[in-house]
Amino acid sequence: MAYKKVKRMSLFMRINHWVVAICMVAAIATGLYIGHPYYQSFIADPAVDKYVMAWNRWIHFMAAIIFDVSSIVVAYLYFFSRFEKAYKKLIPNGENIKEFGDVLVNLVTLNRVKKFDSAHADSFNAVFFFIFHLMLLWMLLTGLQLYVHAFPHGESSIGAWWPAMLHLATDWTVWITGGTYMDVRISHHNTMYWIIAWVMFHIYYQIWRTIFWNEGDINIVVGGSKFVKEDEKSSERTKK
Amino acid sequence: MSDRRDALTKLFSAKGAKVDTNRGEAYYEALMKKMSARLQQLETSDLAMKSSIERALDAQGLTRRDFMKWASAACAMLMLPSQFTPLVAKAATLMNRVPVIWLELQDCAGNSEAILRSDAPTIDELILDVLSLEFNETIMAAAGHQAEEHLEEAMKTFKGKYLCVVEGAVPIGAGKEWCTIGAKGETFEEHLLRVAKDAVAVVAVGTCATFGGIPAASPNPTGAVGVQDVVRGKPIINIPACPANPANITGTILHFVLTGQIPELDHLNRPKFAFGYRIHDNCERRAHFDAGEFVEEWGDEGAKNNFCLYKMGCKGPMTFNNCSIVRYNEAVNWPIGAGHGCIGCSEPQFWDKYATERPLADSKIKAPTGGVEKSVDEFGLGLLTAAGIGIAIHAVASASAAKAESEEA
Ligand code: HEM
Ligand code: HEM
Ligand code: SF4
Ligand code: SF4
Repeated sequence: MAYKKVKRMSLFMRINHWVVAICMVAAIATGLYIGHPYYQSFIADPAVDKYVMAWNRWIHFMAAIIFDVSSIVVAYLYFFSRFEKAYKKLIPNGENIKEFGDVLVNLVTLNRVKKFDSAHADSFNAVFFFIFHLMLLWMLLTGLQLYVHAFPHGESSIGAWWPAMLHLATDWTVWITGGTYMDVRISHHNTMYWIIAWVMFHIYYQIWRTIFWNEGDINIVVGGSKFVKEDEKSSERTKK
Repeated sequence: MSDRRDALTKLFSAKGAKVDTNRGEAYYEALMKKMSARLQQLETSDLAMKSSIERALDAQGLTRRDFMKWASAACAMLMLPSQFTPLVAKAATLMNRVPVIWLELQDCAGNSEAILRSDAPTIDELILDVLSLEFNETIMAAAGHQAEEHLEEAMKTFKGKYLCVVEGAVPIGAGKEWCTIGAKGETFEEHLLRVAKDAVAVVAVGTCATFGGIPAASPNPTGAVGVQDVVRGKPIINIPACPANPANITGTILHFVLTGQIPELDHLNRPKFAFGYRIHDNCERRAHFDAGEFVEEWGDEGAKNNFCLYKMGCKGPMTFNNCSIVRYNEAVNWPIGAGHGCIGCSEPQFWDKYATERPLADSKIKAPTGGVEKSVDEFGLGLLTAAGIGIAIHAVASASAAKAESEEA
């Protein structure tokens, strides 16, 4: 069976992917510490320069800022990527809905039925990634709302525009979540668990595809390309 | 609904969340003129009550020097430059020209108690004593019909001029008829609306009066709400906390005496001079928070070393109040200083969402949808377990399906 190599992610997109993955692990590890400091700092010597919570918060916020930037880039790629433009896969038209359904059927029939072209990014993954970006956006908004409380004077080291902008952009999350700052925090924490569940499925699914489709899907985020079975490319097939 | 929208609009304006402590010389000069004129006018007006702060100070053996020390502190608390101190002192002596009607609704009277019961009253407390002697439902000498007549008279004489101070929540739900006042059996809601109607402004004191507080805690059997949810079309000043700090009550009334207006408020109608800052940012244990040094158990090594109380449930990071700055009882101490975390008593719904003995992550809080109380981490672990089981089943099924297929082939 002949295989054809298809390019799916540029180097930049792959770097972005792994930066996001590392930041996510960092944000979860430090976020959980912020919520419940789960290890103790070394109490022995009072003169030691301890800064454990502060470092955790620093890493958490740095991860957050990198997410910010990455999200802007990804939002741009949604419309202007030279590969499959993600927004086109999100429009609920007949073609996309059918493709979404077909990929889902492939997953629940344990790869017995595969009636779609797996060479390009499909609607199912596009929707799935879109859900991730929505959750990430929500984390950004609720996280920044928690963060802006530290600027009651309206000043910051980079100027007054920053807290002002954060208030404008995130104050509504207080009302949406239930009216108190605590609700925002509960939501921020809860959403993290949805994201972890998302990541669990995501990793499982990418490995699953790699194993069962036999097309080297995992290489999309490593080498940037995958293989497609030549004879089947862009033709539908049903396994017997 | 329209009030919700007002609140939203206010919330959306970044200006609303900002505390401005230096407004420039021109502003303060104009303010000084305005305040002096206002005090002059008050000086020539009638007394609203017989007692005076001077007499109360004398009775307690407090000197002019004590009084001026207090005045400069009050001036700083109101975020006014120090040249305003004489004006603040004068305003305090003129406070008895501002009539106050003090209502007591659904609550524990803790705010009154905090003011009245101290054995060494602070000047803030003395001022409030003086103010509340005329008509205060809890402590006035009159009772029954006599008290009601007294109220009618005060409302008539000072129509449109008096401050209506409210302590306690307003029951408006199915249980509201359990709470009535006076011989006519007025419900609290009717009573409040009647007195608030002719007031110049309404001051809600304590968290029950501002946000419903303890009576409004789940399951809220009386449908208790705060004053701002009942009274419409009047300036409302919220001074939450449990109990409200006497310094903040006097500060607000002082501001009214000085300007004839209510102080600048935040999006929850709380005066910014008192509720503009977060407990956490002015807490003396903050260095231990940043260091990651926490009290783990009451009385442990960390507790002896005044470590941060975050893991014992301190909600200082989400609470706006000035106890970490002005403290209580003439700055003697405050809850965190005494070794207990902040329970967020000045925030809405604090009893249901803040007042837990552990950090949020470990606290059982009702989900917005109601239902069983669970901590977020319990919820999260449940979710992840479910996801893990789902994945495991799919993985095993896929593997055996593939095996069956290759055997077929
Ligand atoms: C915290 C960890 C991770 C997060 C948050 C994450 C997130 C994402 C997102 C958002 C995408 C969409 C493309 C993009 O926007 O860059 C993606 C694609 C992808 N990820 Fe991950 N990822 C994580 C870990 C992993 C791991 C560990 C693997 C390898 C097993 C992996 C394999 C892939 C593959 C193969 C794609 C391309 C799928 C396709 O184009 O059809 N990811 N990931
Ligand atoms: C995207 C992934 C993120 C995850 C998984 C995450 C997770 C968490 C968790 C679990 C907490 C502890 C909540 C608690 O129980 O109290 C937390 C706190 C917090 N997060 Fe995030 N977060 C993320 C993104 C962000 C972002 C983008 C920001 C924006 C700056 C942010 C800012 C904060 C702040 C300010 C706190 C409170 C920390 C404090 O008390 O100082 N987070 N986060
Ligand atoms: S004791 Fe509370 S307010 Fe003080 S630093 Fe710790 S968490 Fe913050
Ligand atoms: S420390 Fe917190 S709970 Fe205690 S009085 Fe102040 S705001 Fe209320």
